[in-house]
Amino acid sequence: MMPEYVKQKLSLDFAEITEYLTKRIKEYIEESGKSGGIIGLSGGIDSSVTAILLSKATKNFHILLMPSSSTSKKDIEDAMKIIKIINAEDKYTLINIDNITEDFSNLVKTTDKIIIGNIKARVRMILLYAFAQKMNYLVIGTGDKSEIMLGYFTKYGDGGVDVLPIGDLYKTQVRMLGRFLGVPEDIVSKPPSPALWEGQTAEGEIGLDYETIDSILYLKFEEMREEEEISEMTKTDMAKVEKIIKMVKTSQHKRLPPEIFRLSGRAVNSDWRYPRQWG
Amino acid sequence: MGLKIELAQIRPKLGDVKLNLEKHLEIIQSSTADCIVFPELSLTGYVLRDLVYEVYKEGEKAVERLSDENKCIIAGLVKETRPGILRNTAAIIIDHKVDYVYKFYLPTYGLFEERRYFQPGDPKKDLKIFEYKGIKFGVIICEDAWHYEPIQALTLMGADTIFIPASSPMRRLSVKLGIQDNWEALLKAHSLINGIWTVFVNTVGSQEEEFFWGGSMVVSPSGEIIAKAKLFEENSIITEINLNEVRKNRFFSSFREHNRDFYDVLKNL
Repeated sequence: MMPEYVKQKLSLDFAEITEYLTKRIKEYIEESGKSGGIIGLSGGIDSSVTAILLSKATKNFHILLMPSSSTSKKDIEDAMKIIKIINAEDKYTLINIDNITEDFSNLVKTTDKIIIGNIKARVRMILLYAFAQKMNYLVIGTGDKSEIMLGYFTKYGDGGVDVLPIGDLYKTQVRMLGRFLGVPEDIVSKPPSPALWEGQTAEGEIGLDYETIDSILYLKFEEMREEEEISEMTKTDMAKVEKIIKMVKTSQHKRLPPEIFRLSGRAVNSDWRYPRQWG
Repeated sequence: MGLKIELAQIRPKLGDVKLNLEKHLEIIQSSTADCIVFPELSLTGYVLRDLVYEVYKEGEKAVERLSDENKCIIAGLVKETRPGILRNTAAIIIDHKVDYVYKFYLPTYGLFEERRYFQPGDPKKDLKIFEYKGIKFGVIICEDAWHYEPIQALTLMGADTIFIPASSPMRRLSVKLGIQDNWEALLKAHSLINGIWTVFVNTVGSQEEEFFWGGSMVVSPSGEIIAKAKLFEENSIITEINLNEVRKNRFFSSFREHNRDFYDVLKNL
């Protein structure tokens, strides 16, 4: 559960947030010298919200639907609903990734659902980048703050993007933003899932609902509270609070560029800290 | 008679001094104000990181070009004060003469890393009072307004107006914009306590992860916000400040009381 205190802290002025994020997407595309953005739409809340924001930021956008055998029919229908809402009927491409995923899995000789799941996420990344290059677009990522903090994404899969517009909004905030933006209620309230295998749900895998996860993340990392206190405030077992915090810590490598072993007088990332906007 | 000031809330392009200089000139040349104030590091952009090692070379040349203009101008740059020493600097140009002030308090917490690149100004040398069209003013940079002393010192030295070029990034955007509330409170307090005009000129727009929220404003010596630029977009506003408002505060406040004994205590803390 989310304590009333956290609920208040995470409340936002969604009109202002929408204006802000739209502006930032627009500016980021302009500054990058690209002419638009491409986005993978799953029919879930994150990509629905990001697609709507992208459509507000620019006319130059394209949507990829990349279902696999583990994508539910409902997800595809939901993605189509969003496409309709943002009038993008002529701006999407549907590609089934089953064959290519199977090729990869056969080459790797694996039937492990997690490995295959990650292959799916990375196949989608490859397709997004190929389309992006072809169209001179940026790849607009759809990860939210909860997933990014937990490391609940595939490295170089859904994590492989150019920019993360909703990456500073917790899942529960994205849901609220979704409602504000007119995302249909069944999309807002369906259980979040990477759909990398059938029946996978985020809350099932992590073992807590996002109201609780977000409360723990907020209280621990933004308010720096003690774990005992967080457990009490969220009425959650200590073991589960600790599990969430551990997920954040062990996934730090996913949030940073790869480590470069230091040798020279000036090494990239270590004491080479240029902004992206450089020259 | 008052002083017409323009708060030039611009979105500089990070690291592109040439382009930013053009933007400055465009605003200055079309302005009807006496004094045009740009944000902190307006010629270079703020989130420079290691770009400081490049942009310092062009800053002073750009200021030289600005000094051709026939106005009072305040603009921000990275200045090399001796070989290899850089400071976060505001240039004050009055009737073609250039002077500089330096940031005293360099934020190095959270998203800020100024101490990594800059040397702080020295209060014993770098507190300066300027005068233009009968108005005495001081200039401090952004974080300096989060402390008592820089504004207090300048005020006691004679300033009736404090210009505050700033690059305040947005944080805590929730139901209200938290950082905007903070700034309003700070400026009002400085104005009320010192009987001064405070003129806050913020950067606007995105630079790397950060987004500068704009919202430049002028607070009167009575603590009222008398002019406010837009949030989140480039916006120049012109307003007038005068000494009558300063008098109104000081006739009916205890600003004239200055008890130095407090400083004897503070000095030893």
